[in-house]
Amino acid sequence: MNTRHPSPALLLFVGVLGLSACPTLYAADAPAYVPVAAQSSLSFSGTQQGERFTGVFRDFDARIAYAPDQLPGSHIDVTIRLKSLDSKSQDRDSALAGADWFDFAKFPTATFHAATIRISSAGPVGDADLTIKGKTKRISFPFTWKNDSGKNVLDARVTLDRLDFGVGAGEWADESVAGRKVDVVVHLVLASAPAAAAPAATAGKPAAAPAAAPKH
Amino acid sequence: MATATTVPGRWGGLSRLFHWGMLGLFLVIVPLGLYMADLPLSKQKLKLYALHKSIGLTLLALAALRLLWRSTQRRPSLPPMPAWQERAASATHVALYALMFLVPLAGWLFNSAAGFPLQWFGQVNLPALVDANPALKSLAREAHELGAWTLVAFVALHAAAALKHHFIDRDRTLALMTPGVKAPGTGVDP
Ligand code: HEM
Ligand code: HEM
Repeated sequence: MNTRHPSPALLLFVGVLGLSACPTLYAADAPAYVPVAAQSSLSFSGTQQGERFTGVFRDFDARIAYAPDQLPGSHIDVTIRLKSLDSKSQDRDSALAGADWFDFAKFPTATFHAATIRISSAGPVGDADLTIKGKTKRISFPFTWKNDSGKNVLDARVTLDRLDFGVGAGEWADESVAGRKVDVVVHLVLASAPAAAAPAATAGKPAAAPAAAPKH
Repeated sequence: MATATTVPGRWGGLSRLFHWGMLGLFLVIVPLGLYMADLPLSKQKLKLYALHKSIGLTLLALAALRLLWRSTQRRPSLPPMPAWQERAASATHVALYALMFLVPLAGWLFNSAAGFPLQWFGQVNLPALVDANPALKSLAREAHELGAWTLVAFVALHAAAALKHHFIDRDRTLALMTPGVKAPGTGVDP
């Protein structure tokens, strides 16, 4: 163990270096968007007893700052309110709410933060921290970004292992009832975010969706 | 249900196999259904549900095969008995056949309306009869439960009548369906 304290000057130097390297503080933000609730969806599909089922989370906030030529200022932030889950079966929904699965009571939300977005040969990829049930995992989030009749559309599909997040732990861990792999499908039709610092619009509540936010 | 012609002798081997084999499965599936429904959610519970549904689907298929087979067979003639008893017996048989289909179909409907997967012994997945539908779900559940109890009641009546013919009337009714049972008193096969 080194017992010598580093000099204050060095600390300052390292601090300044750290700050300037931190893109979210200094880089100009890329244009920001929020999803148009009625046209966007966050769905997933898994298997139960050999059968594929799909579910959606109807209530989530998302804020996407992205421009291919402003990558340092690009980031994606999503908060999902888990109790808006609908898997087309009340029994399954209430099981998924329980402590062995998502544990809504203790962990009402899941979050996704992609602070870095890079361009790979296949297109843009976010390096994201996904937090479900209090467990955070770094995932790579490849997506497509298209312009569809004047609106930007983000599409992505990632496959998660539910056990990375302790979802379906304990006796459910083996795959005899539910498969481990869950495909998550993201389809966001985007509108420009309302002017700076406004809270992200809430998807799934059309009334709260921003009405034709002004372009900047 | 009454077939125009009857024949002397007893029910053939395959008919008897269907009859007693299905009784064996009913003796498993009904207690299983009653037991499993009250369990708290666990993997074990889902396994028992899966077993119940698998046996139920097997019974549904057997009911169809049994009815098909029956249409190729001639019914053994009953021993002499009052006409009302014969009528009551055939009415009971019609009800039993109807319930052999209705109960598992209501179970399947319930399962479908609940949006649950349906697998036969972990081998084949069967399609849902309808889309998930909470209102239909509780209706189908009631129908399944009521149907199951009605089936149990008719089986009890039917079995009691068969035993009454054997032990009280001492006729060959039970022997018609039961391997190894001889008509009382006569010591001969029907
Ligand atoms: C002839 C065949 C069947 C019989 C005699 C039977 C009988 C029963 C009985 C007695 C119960 C308990 C009733 C209750 O307390 O709710 C039950 C429950 C149940 N049965 Fe069946 N069943 C049969 C076939 C099926 C089939 C084919 C399925 C599904 C495909 C099925 C699905 C269910 C389910 C899901 C329950 C649980 C009800 C609950 O959770 O309340 N059954 N069955
Ligand atoms: C301890 C239980 C049972 C006993 C002692 C019993 C006895 C008998 C006997 C003696 C017969 C012959 C009567 C005849 O030929 O008309 C018969 C026929 C029949 N039994 Fe049962 N039985 C039992 C359970 C069941 C069960 C569980 C079912 C179905 C759910 C059933 C359905 C029938 C039907 C439909 C017939 C008429 C034969 C046909 O048309 O295929 N029995 N039973």
